[in-house]
Amino acid sequence: MRSTPICVLAAVLTATLFAAESAGAQTAAAKSAPAAAEWAALAKLPDFTGVWEIAMGGGGRGRGLPQGPALTPAAAAKRKELQSLGREDNQTANCVPPGMPGIMGQPYPMEFLLTPGKVTIVIEAYTQVRHIYTDGRALPDDPDLKFHGTSVGRWEGNALVVDTIGFSPLTEMAGNVPHSDKMRIRERFVLTGPDTMSIETTVTDPEVLTAPFTTTRALQRHRSWTIAEYVCQENNRNFVDEKGKAGIRLDDPAGASRK
Amino acid sequence: MRTLFLAVITVMLVAVGAAEVVAHHSFAPFNMESEKTISGTIKKFDWTNPHTWIWLDVTNDKGAVETWGIEGMSPNYLGRRGWSKNSLKPGDKVSIVVRPMRDGSPGGMFVRATLADGRELRQTGQAVD
Repeated sequence: MRSTPICVLAAVLTATLFAAESAGAQTAAAKSAPAAAEWAALAKLPDFTGVWEIAMGGGGRGRGLPQGPALTPAAAAKRKELQSLGREDNQTANCVPPGMPGIMGQPYPMEFLLTPGKVTIVIEAYTQVRHIYTDGRALPDDPDLKFHGTSVGRWEGNALVVDTIGFSPLTEMAGNVPHSDKMRIRERFVLTGPDTMSIETTVTDPEVLTAPFTTTRALQRHRSWTIAEYVCQENNRNFVDEKGKAGIRLDDPAGASRK
Repeated sequence: MRTLFLAVITVMLVAVGAAEVVAHHSFAPFNMESEKTISGTIKKFDWTNPHTWIWLDVTNDKGAVETWGIEGMSPNYLGRRGWSKNSLKPGDKVSIVVRPMRDGSPGGMFVRATLADGRELRQTGQAVD
């Protein structure tokens, strides 16, 4: 059959691309392409697809805001020490993305994509993406440490429940609150109306928190929106130096990237 | 003209949480307790991430022209709230309220602008579909 070599070539090419993309990541065992039934089954799931943004007046840090996280004595001392350094800003001023959980609280939209065995969240801020595997796989025992950790999800009734572990030490749980390697984040995504969603986020970390730290945000779906480009390095005039001093480069306006 | 909704930073802070609205950087370089009004001519408008930058030629009290750099929200944020890359054009006469730089250099954070035709630009808090 004339088409066979092309199919084989396409399969090899696809496998190569996937291998390159997932190099160093926790990969699932090889499996066949999703069957039509798996695509059809998506229609029975709650419709999270589309572009969402934190709703003004309906978001906020909910229960977490007034008190903040309940810290262990060691973590409280660490926060006090970091505060005493008078750091004016963090590395996001230098365009380093915040990672989890901060990336989910940005004033920019995110798009949810549902495909068989996976929920993908395309985050406009810093051009980030989260990969949430809903194919039944377990969390890895010894994950590489990532800005967004490693996530698996499952459907509980109408809720998508996501567990995430394995966070980069370059990220913070909250301002001046570093996490330990035992931090876990559980998110519960629920549709609360035709175009509204609630995300309840619970952070646990036995070395840093004396109680789970839970926040809730409300999101609004904007059916007509698309995700825009966000290249932080395009014209970033903000910076923070190694001592945490924040500054702005006002030099050379004629040389800015767009005329 | 498309309606521009009122943008009040404090409302945003309450609604979303200070650290989250800032998103990309802190307010530390700016004097958030102070407002200063500067008037001049638009030299250039950078419709760029992570922030828009308005470059405004202002004649100072010694008669010399000084270029001010004024930081605004991103094109992504403003574009969903009635702004476009053409909201300000080189040569436009405009009066801008800023939170000035703490170090006294000619720059600040955008609060609101009034154009020669009376049109007002704000960084709105409410998105439009």
